[in-house]
Amino acid sequence: MTLLAQYALTGVVTGCFLILATIGFSLTRQVEGFLNIAHAEMLGVSAFITWGLNAVAGWPFLPSAAVAVVATAFLGLAIGRVVYDPMRRLGPAVLLITSVGVAYVMAGVMHAIIGTGIRSLDMPLATSYKAFGLRITDYQMVVVALAAATGISLALFLNRTKTGLAIRAMSSNPELAASRGIDVRQTSRATWLIASGLAGLAGVMLALIATLSTDIAFNQILQILAVAILAGLGSLYSVIAAGLIVGIAMDMSVYWIPAGYRPLIAFLVVILALLVRPQGLSGKARS
Amino acid sequence: MTRDLLVVDRVIKRFGGLKAVGGDDGLSFTVPEGTFLGLIGPNGAGKSTTFNLISGVLKPDEGKVLLDGVDLAKARASEIAALGLGRTFQTPRAFPSLSVLDNVIVGADSAGERVGMAFSGRWRDSEGALRDKAAAVLARVGLSERINDHVGSLSGGELRMLEVARQLVRDPKILLLDEPTAGVDPSLQSKLSNILVDLHAEGRTLIVVEHNLHFLLRIADRVVVLQNGQLLSQGTPAEIKADEKVITAYLGADHAA
Amino acid sequence: MNLVQLFLAVVMFGSLFSVLTLSLNLQYARGGMINFGTVAYFAAGAYAYAIVTQEPPSGLDQYLVGLHGPWWAGFLAAGVASMAFAVLTGWPTLRLRGEYLALTTFAFAEMLHSLLVNERRIGNGTVGLANVERPDPGSLGLPDAWAYAGAAFLLMLATALVFRRLLASPYGRAIDAVRDDETAAEAIGKDIARLRFEVFVISAVPIGFAGALYAMITTLVSPDLFTAEVTFFVWIALVLGGERTILGAVLGTMALVGFQELVRAFPFESVRAAEIAAAGEDIVTGILFILILRWQPFEAMVKRRAAA
Repeated sequence: MTLLAQYALTGVVTGCFLILATIGFSLTRQVEGFLNIAHAEMLGVSAFITWGLNAVAGWPFLPSAAVAVVATAFLGLAIGRVVYDPMRRLGPAVLLITSVGVAYVMAGVMHAIIGTGIRSLDMPLATSYKAFGLRITDYQMVVVALAAATGISLALFLNRTKTGLAIRAMSSNPELAASRGIDVRQTSRATWLIASGLAGLAGVMLALIATLSTDIAFNQILQILAVAILAGLGSLYSVIAAGLIVGIAMDMSVYWIPAGYRPLIAFLVVILALLVRPQGLSGKARS
Repeated sequence: MTRDLLVVDRVIKRFGGLKAVGGDDGLSFTVPEGTFLGLIGPNGAGKSTTFNLISGVLKPDEGKVLLDGVDLAKARASEIAALGLGRTFQTPRAFPSLSVLDNVIVGADSAGERVGMAFSGRWRDSEGALRDKAAAVLARVGLSERINDHVGSLSGGELRMLEVARQLVRDPKILLLDEPTAGVDPSLQSKLSNILVDLHAEGRTLIVVEHNLHFLLRIADRVVVLQNGQLLSQGTPAEIKADEKVITAYLGADHAA
Repeated sequence: MNLVQLFLAVVMFGSLFSVLTLSLNLQYARGGMINFGTVAYFAAGAYAYAIVTQEPPSGLDQYLVGLHGPWWAGFLAAGVASMAFAVLTGWPTLRLRGEYLALTTFAFAEMLHSLLVNERRIGNGTVGLANVERPDPGSLGLPDAWAYAGAAFLLMLATALVFRRLLASPYGRAIDAVRDDETAAEAIGKDIARLRFEVFVISAVPIGFAGALYAMITTLVSPDLFTAEVTFFVWIALVLGGERTILGAVLGTMALVGFQELVRAFPFESVRAAEIAAAGEDIVTGILFILILRWQPFEAMVKRRAAA
């Protein structure tokens, strides 16, 4: 029973990471209207900038992470403006396929610069804490705390600030938003910055809790997609719920079936969800 | 004695608790074979909802819609079409990647739409006849010269004609037209009314939902007037013109405007 | 690698992957369905072929079934397996549209991959099945490479002809109508669910055959060979060749395979150099992909031809 609870706890950590990784993806989907497959590569970019500054250049962790997040945010903005903006009229399917091309380029660049092999940060090993027979490391706690902080600040941002409200208006009805005097271009830029910055943050977390290799991004996109579909590409809250469901389901499944099936569980959840509710958890119909 | 091709039997449709169609007893009327029925009413009278209930897009909450004796409650749109109900759309729809001719031929149920037939090539035997029929129907709606054109080059009125042609090639038992005069210039409108009169004379059953009352009163042989989702009046155009209720509810307002 | 070898490799793999591109072309350009799980049908075919033809397990083998059947039985089984997988995945996803369909097919493909990795009883897990049996073309007096390049070319030709026959018929007209406007197609009695399902399943069959041929050529099937990269590769080839035409799909695939083989044919001094070259290949492929989608030169060409 303790073991099962331990898996559930690890699942919460995984879920929190998935939430961080998916929020940006989901935000892009809502405002820009397409599934950005290259989003996961942004996690990789951020993770490797952190690694480069920390393990290669010898910087301390925090400034490395901060630079990585900011750099990733601006890289995302640049790609959004140069690649996707001129193509918006071609529709979501073409943009989705284009983002596969972008992912190829980003993965190629990372491969060329970094090469294959496994990397890790120059950080002290994680310290384990034990309570009620359950184990959690300090880094895992950072992930949970960061996910919570991000969720709350994003909710405040979307509900309280002018830009946040504009993003929400754009995501629910772009034509209406434009006709009500919302600056579509500026809102779109803000979205790219925030979504990519969040990917950067998730990338830093990835560097903290996992060993890094250049194909890491691809493995993430599978789970990000799983969470995003389950959330119905809908609101912030459904992303949080979906992230936790997928994370916990994946990690708890290890209790009954071989660990190799962990990613499969993510998709099993998704396929079941899609078959029951073709529009996802949030149930928001989109034509 | 002609049979009733379409029976609307005590139908009620609610949206969010409000009755869009059907008062206390529900909406009822019948369409005997060979009738040219005009369905009219002021905005918000429930014309579109009624149209969608008859064409099977919406399902009634209570009551039944029977097409030639078959309850449409469980039928999908394609099955209803196969039962012999042809319909047009308020905003005309066409298949942009097909030519004008193919846009009409596709309306027929070609044997070649079965995989086995398509592979065997035996569909070619019947294709010529289909082509001739489609060409004849296109000539009838006045689109002969556009036969090989791209549908993108057709005007709004021509697209409506194309839709009618695509349905006619199917020989539907009953043809429903949704606001056929909307966005159509007067010369084409009179052509349309000639075509409808012709079709009626051939013995076809037509239901036309229209905003344009005068257009319908000239050509329909029976008229159903809706108000607030309920049957206000029904009868021949002459009876409708003379009906006090209709005059106050509809004609009066229309004349004032 | 000399020029003849390069030519053979391009014809062999170009034709083989053209079969996939052609099927994708049928599903997407004509059927309007985005299938992001193409590799799964390819893998189903390859594994079915290997399982039917290989000898029963012995020694360290962990797989359960080896029927040691003739190659043609394996080849047929590959088509059936791919078709069966299409039925299995197409049935529940029929009502999904656009990106939801893309994601679900992608998910199904990942599930199959995960199953092949973890369920060692199917095909030895990550190790895969080596020394896949294949017919010896020596009896025809042909060198292996020529024979298999020819076989791949024939399979491509057959696929193109069959698809063309289907699409040139009223069937093609009906699926065009369904893709253009589902509501209007329903209003003329088209059974959308049937047509979409049939297109999905029919287009999976040649992919299965291609999988069998791929297993014969490489004499190895392992999960590593069947990753989502294959799916992306085929999509890029399709976009490269311009949508909607059979010739375009084939030329796009040939060009992409040729480009890859050229990069691979280049002798590299070190592992690192080869690694950078491989990465460079990805980068150039990705950039080409974006540029073509951005400016749509093929669409423009088609329009110009139509206008002329």
